[in-house]
Amino acid sequence: MMRSDNLKEAAASGAAASASLPPLIRARGIAKSFSGNAVLQSVDLDLHAGEVVGLLGENGAGKSTLMHILSGGLQPDAGTVEMDGAPVRFGSVADGIEAGVSFVHQELSVVGALSVAENLHLGRMSRSRTGLVDFKLMEEASRALLERVGAGHIEPRREAATLRAGEQQLVEIAKAAARKPRLLILDEPTSSLTPHEVGGFFSYVREARASGVAIIFITHRLEEAMALCDRVVVLRNGAIVSERRPAETSRQQLITDMTGKPAIYEHRPRTASDTMALSLKGVSGDRLLSGIDLDVRMGEIFGLFGLVGAGRTELLDLIHGVHRPTAGTISLFGERLSLSDPSEAVRAGIALVPEGRKTAGILPQHSVRDNAAISSLRRFSRGIFSDRGGDPRRMASYRQSLGIRMATDTQEISTLSGGNQQKVIFARALMAEPRLLLLDEPTHGVDVGAKADLYDIVTREAEKGLTVVIASSEVPEILALCDRVAVLSKGRLAGILDRVAMTEDTILTMAFKEH
Amino acid sequence: MQTGVAYIRSLGRYREASVLAMLAAVALYLSFASDYFLEPRNLLNVGRQASVVAIVALGQALVIIARGIDLSVGSVIGLSAVVAAVLMRDTGSETIGLMAGLLTGLACGLVNGVLYTRFRINPFIATLGTLSIARGIALLMTGGIPVPFGGLAEFVGAGRIFDVPVSFLLMIVLAIVVHVFASRTVMGREIYAIGDNPKASRLAGVNLRAIRLIVFALCGLLAGLGGLILAGNLASADPNLGMGYELDVIAAVILGGTALSGGRGSILGVVIGALLMALLNNAFVLLGISAYWQVVTKGLVIIFAVGLDGLQRRGDDD
Repeated sequence: MMRSDNLKEAAASGAAASASLPPLIRARGIAKSFSGNAVLQSVDLDLHAGEVVGLLGENGAGKSTLMHILSGGLQPDAGTVEMDGAPVRFGSVADGIEAGVSFVHQELSVVGALSVAENLHLGRMSRSRTGLVDFKLMEEASRALLERVGAGHIEPRREAATLRAGEQQLVEIAKAAARKPRLLILDEPTSSLTPHEVGGFFSYVREARASGVAIIFITHRLEEAMALCDRVVVLRNGAIVSERRPAETSRQQLITDMTGKPAIYEHRPRTASDTMALSLKGVSGDRLLSGIDLDVRMGEIFGLFGLVGAGRTELLDLIHGVHRPTAGTISLFGERLSLSDPSEAVRAGIALVPEGRKTAGILPQHSVRDNAAISSLRRFSRGIFSDRGGDPRRMASYRQSLGIRMATDTQEISTLSGGNQQKVIFARALMAEPRLLLLDEPTHGVDVGAKADLYDIVTREAEKGLTVVIASSEVPEILALCDRVAVLSKGRLAGILDRVAMTEDTILTMAFKEH
Repeated sequence: MQTGVAYIRSLGRYREASVLAMLAAVALYLSFASDYFLEPRNLLNVGRQASVVAIVALGQALVIIARGIDLSVGSVIGLSAVVAAVLMRDTGSETIGLMAGLLTGLACGLVNGVLYTRFRINPFIATLGTLSIARGIALLMTGGIPVPFGGLAEFVGAGRIFDVPVSFLLMIVLAIVVHVFASRTVMGREIYAIGDNPKASRLAGVNLRAIRLIVFALCGLLAGLGGLILAGNLASADPNLGMGYELDVIAAVILGGTALSGGRGSILGVVIGALLMALLNNAFVLLGISAYWQVVTKGLVIIFAVGLDGLQRRGDDD
């Protein structure tokens, strides 16, 4: 009942937006299965020119499959797509681009060795009369493009590899904008942007909307969806479960739509012991960090907050022995550490769940079981021999306690959803039975359901006495989990906040201190 | 065409089985095409030819599984043999000679490993350098003239126990040892892990540098052993011994289903790959085809083997 109301509402808003014109895209009964698993089951979706539609859903809900079908990367098993009222069938991504559909993927595809301008003109470089590439023209065009997406500060001549992830993301968006799309699909475009860049990006989206572009905006950040979108569509298990207007709904409602159950995470108060677990005195790194002093007590969940480039990851790297500090001392339970390699850190009882699951987390060709075991091979060995026989038993216990969903523990980890992969990386860290657990953006790109599970795991472990340091760029995450938070700003410690003093405002104000 | 490609891709999933099938097919063909092929003498000869390639390929496989490559093995074979022969001649002690030969191999491997892990030189380039250096030293030590070589090495290289070549038996023993090492020990599992994702492995607590160094050292040691066997078989240490051997060794490893991109491969596959290479060599001799064609075929076989790998992993980078 609610669903039909929503649809009517949405149809009404669409009609208002475009009078009696047919919608730009009308998808009907889209279905798709992969090896017997129905990923999409009869999805209907209308998109109007000049409309921003937020697409929400947990990982595995079918968002990217649906987007690949709309952009020509996949063919539906059933259903039709109409563009301007006429049926279309894109045989390939190139067909889709030709028709005006541009898809900016979450995975970046910037060519590092080329300049920003060359990246923006890849495949359509302008030539001067001599037949050589006209760099001047290309750079001017690039400057204008970057300006439009709020990235005017990026110099077109710069080598793309030297850009931060967020800047590369903006180059990708500029690349799509250059194609003058009629439908622009953006998959998690803001995940690596700074708040400032998000602002610039939002104004580009609004400008594109005003000029009649239809935009699909996929995100895990509900606040952004509510702020930017005209309509929010939620996919769950391959079907659309709700279409709502942000003004008429709430964060809570959207979470319920996505997960099928009401789920938010509340901070659970805890009493940390008086034992000092981790202590940093005047720690500096060779590039960014200088003079960091921190004390973390046993059983505490300690947050490290900072904007992109503040030095969160760098600080965890120093504690984990990835790099050596250039000055200062780090002690663990009173013992001074002098680590030259992460292997020594793991032996000393420090485990890390790194940022970037694909690049730094999973062993993609290894089974789930082997992925979980890799940090504790030496712990459970008999002489030089590895205890392969005990692996299944250990895996089974973590599979249950962490709620990892899989068919068997011998399947390749790449076949699991992002959230489940992340749980396996947690299992790997916990299996090493650390005294200190370092988490770097542990829920980056993880859906709402898995996020709540991971928060629960962290809290449970802390209650059992594990000390946790969690680096995050998401304030809600810090607020949900941490007993105290240290805020970093451009490599310096801007301050440490207690639970009572922690609010979105105080944290962000501190983060901008050195800016 | 589509189904053909699909078929080859499905084969790729069972690489050991597919190489075994190729081995059986070549053997079956030869048993009809040549009366001499099934003679025990010939079969044992094939086994002897396969053994040196296989022994060196065991080390190379570990290197490639760990996402490296060692191009210097051919030269290390030559240098180890020459060092052993020269020291044996000059000191009169067989033990000193053989130990020095093995240590030379180990030292070459350590140099490769240090260049890679400490000086961060890409292993392709580092071992290309040592390939040339080791060969040059072997030529300098001997003035380009072969040195007589005998004793225990000659027994291992040319001798037989109950008609079976000693080198073949040694290969079987080493293959079992390396198989157990790769699949059952902590370090073996860590080798596969660093080949699959070096960064993730390091952050998970695997000592990346140490394992890379050890893997290259083992590869050098086994190449040194290969050099002693090869020279022993010929009763002479030629400074040009083992020239071009890296091609056969890498071909055997890749044919046996080891991924050049690291993280995957089995020791059993490597042994089968080496046997297949030896069988192909034997086929040219038995069928009386020009040795020049043999060179062409070797290249084709490598491209075919890597092509299998590429087809199976299609979509990874496009």
